[in-house]
Amino acid sequence: MSVAAAATPQDRRQLLIWLLPPLLWFTVFMVIPYGMLFYYSLGSTEYMTFKPGFSLANLVRVFRAEPYLSVLLKSARIGAFTAIGATILAYPVAFCLAFHTRSARAKFLIYLLVIVPWWAAYLVKAYAWKTILGTNGIINALLLDLHLIHEPLTLFLYNQFSVVLTLVYIFTPFSILSIYAQLERIPTSIIEASSNLGATTLETLTKIIIPLSIPGVIAGAIITFALATGDFIAPALVGGPDAIMVSNVVINLLGVAFDWPMAASIGIVVIGVGTALISVSQYLEHRAQARF
Amino acid sequence: MTTIIEARQLQKHYGGPLAVRDVSLAVNEGEFLSLLGASGSGKTTTLRMIAGLESPTQGSVLFRGQDITHVPVAQRDMRMVFQDFALFPNLTVWENVAFGLRLRITRGRYTSDEVKSRVGQYLETVQLTGHADKMPHQLSGGQRQRVSLARALVTDPPVVLFDEPLGSLDANMRKVMQLELKRLHRELRKTFIYVTHDQEEAMGLSDRVAVLKDGRLLQLGTPDDIYFRPNCAAVASFIGAANVLDGVAATTPGGTVSVELAGGVRLAAADNAAGVANGEAVTIMLRAEQVRVAPAAGGAADGVRAQVTERLFLGEKVRYELKVPGTGLRLTAMSSGGHPGLGLGDDVLVSADPGHVRIIARGSAPRADA
Amino acid sequence: MRELGSRRTSWALGWSVLAFLYAPLAVMAVFSFNDSDFTGLPFQGFTLRWYGMLLEDDRLLESVWNSVYVALGVVGLSTLFGLPAAIALDRFDFPGKAWFARLVLLPIVLPGVITGVALLLFYMAMHFRLSLYTIMLGQGTGLMCITITEVAARLRRMGRSTEEAARTLGANEWEVLRKVTLPGVMPALIGAMLIAFSISFDEIAVTYLLTGRQNTLPMTLWSLLRREATPEVNAVSTLVIAASVILIVLGTWLSRRGSGEPVAAPV
Repeated sequence: MSVAAAATPQDRRQLLIWLLPPLLWFTVFMVIPYGMLFYYSLGSTEYMTFKPGFSLANLVRVFRAEPYLSVLLKSARIGAFTAIGATILAYPVAFCLAFHTRSARAKFLIYLLVIVPWWAAYLVKAYAWKTILGTNGIINALLLDLHLIHEPLTLFLYNQFSVVLTLVYIFTPFSILSIYAQLERIPTSIIEASSNLGATTLETLTKIIIPLSIPGVIAGAIITFALATGDFIAPALVGGPDAIMVSNVVINLLGVAFDWPMAASIGIVVIGVGTALISVSQYLEHRAQARF
Repeated sequence: MTTIIEARQLQKHYGGPLAVRDVSLAVNEGEFLSLLGASGSGKTTTLRMIAGLESPTQGSVLFRGQDITHVPVAQRDMRMVFQDFALFPNLTVWENVAFGLRLRITRGRYTSDEVKSRVGQYLETVQLTGHADKMPHQLSGGQRQRVSLARALVTDPPVVLFDEPLGSLDANMRKVMQLELKRLHRELRKTFIYVTHDQEEAMGLSDRVAVLKDGRLLQLGTPDDIYFRPNCAAVASFIGAANVLDGVAATTPGGTVSVELAGGVRLAAADNAAGVANGEAVTIMLRAEQVRVAPAAGGAADGVRAQVTERLFLGEKVRYELKVPGTGLRLTAMSSGGHPGLGLGDDVLVSADPGHVRIIARGSAPRADA
Repeated sequence: MRELGSRRTSWALGWSVLAFLYAPLAVMAVFSFNDSDFTGLPFQGFTLRWYGMLLEDDRLLESVWNSVYVALGVVGLSTLFGLPAAIALDRFDFPGKAWFARLVLLPIVLPGVITGVALLLFYMAMHFRLSLYTIMLGQGTGLMCITITEVAARLRRMGRSTEEAARTLGANEWEVLRKVTLPGVMPALIGAMLIAFSISFDEIAVTYLLTGRQNTLPMTLWSLLRREATPEVNAVSTLVIAASVILIVLGTWLSRRGSGEPVAAPV
């Protein structure tokens, strides 16, 4: 509910008081650093020192050269699987919260139950899966106990599967809240009207609820995708050699490989994609809201 | 006259006080029945129990004699028009109206050609033919209401339920829609069950009115009955402006009754059909428009002396609040003629035809109102 | 009747997913009491010695303190700059507003590593030495955005009517701010502060790149976790979870109190 454009000089002065400090901050600590990222991406390295330049070669390499392109694609794929997996797991909980929980207190309780694992130490959660999936982990122990296998399986850990599993685990709570927000917006009277007109649960779900909630659900899934793609903890802790993702590559480039321009280039590409994703996500959210 | 819907001793609570207490009523096929009451009276809850959107904690709902209390809402043959219209935001006007019909195509009830023609026909009935491709958010309140109506009618249900459908419309739109609904009811000859808090609406549209308060059904009758023969003070005060007063009856051997009100004011009542005893405590009702007010100075015959404490010019009527000096007795009078020269503070004479003074309750037992 | 479909099925599915969410945490907690030198099976008896070792591990304790210090700084920064930004975004229109709004959302979506790299380049150019303060500045930028989002959402819900009422009663702009806007925004602000504290405490991506000689808790945990570790790791993890739980419950309760809604609007 914003006011019209700052009209009086008094209003303008107020606006400046509010806007300038944060604007300054963002300029210094975001715009300039991103600018430097761009600047570095244009340069090159010679004998372990940075040589500024004006070449787009690095940026092009991100899209053309191995392993960068395949890492980007693999990260995107892992990100996509995570978004899909998290959405699928999240839907029942969000659905239950939105349609099968009546009292405000019960809703709040479940809401808390969902948030708590989300915010509780990221590292811890990733590590927990290592304990569960590893050779002396719970799953192997169970399978051994049941005599289904004779020695521990290594296929649960240190591959893309374990990375996706861990990431889905990490992002499900966020998806639950995002989907729940969409479902909660649907007025009860619409559901009642649908039933009153004779629709079965499935029909109401497919013709009304899902179409109405999809834009918002996708908007949330896009954020999950973005966050999962850029993760470096899960691949480092539970991923194997074939599960190296974008952020890990960037870190390597900064360290041993000392290819800062390349790291910066990847950064620029990611920023570009990130901005595009925000725009899409915002547009979808807008469309979801406009209808009600 | 057959009973199409019957509610038997319906009761509903949400873990606290009862929202609906022991409501029983029978709806005649083809009638326009209103459930009238203030908010919290249980009228909407009762309607929703009939529709199947709430399950009664006790009691049953019957449809053409069959117990449908546990039949899911989707399987009941009655459609509802919601207060907030409940149009599907992701479907066009046409698709909204066609929604119920399309569900039935797969069940073999309609062909898609039939659907097309029925939707077109009902869109025309509610005068929205040109708007078929619009989305709900592009329509005005009145248009949305009409889509909601068409959507409910198009599946040809024997019973249509209305949950305060005109509540969110402005006064003029409301009047237009009221006439519309009455016309549709007459033409389509369906049973309408209509919830409203607007007593003028209820009285004007209905064949019968059920007055509810605090979850109880106070009276069920024609508008005429409700208006002129309310069975308790609560009904009397809810409808129109009425003077509901306590007093003591005095009977004569000749069969007439008069009632002595506070401060010794005595009003002759209608004949003693109710059979009250001498000295019995009674409650009388006198409709405001049946109170005759005349200037005290003008040589009018007789009456009770009173003073005008408030005068409200309402356009078609004038409303006077009167006080009988020396007593706590206050009266309301509505007059359409306007008495020239009657203003604040004037002395007046108040009288009423005995036939208009109705005894509506006896004894000093707790009345059904607050 | 908002109920759609079978209540039992819905609850069964819902609770299964919640069980999935909590199972690994429960496993971690259980094994923190394992009297064995390995973090996996077999479970060899109940002991509290790992918690004891924890409390004597100076390096660990020091990093906890560092984390608290950084988190407090981050909270201060994000409130100081986030609150004005939220007010500017909600109450005013200005050229470039849409871009500013997008800029605000960017750090939330970007991998922390990228934000970290950009800031690292900046610090190098400015010849800043890496320290707890560089971490603070880096995290602060990102968490500021969360504060802005939360506070702006609350401002939007508040509407202007209370402020306008105050103005008609004669209050000047500063009084309106002090007596109406700030108190109104306070629940969301406090909630955002607690959430920012909690995230900062747990943050590793940006921290990884901007750490100097002093480590925060996640960094210490990180080096611990990379090796095959003892159940001491589990003990740390369990304690960290417990602390986060308390903070989140506090933060959510405060953030929603007074806004009239029992559960969240979109996060």
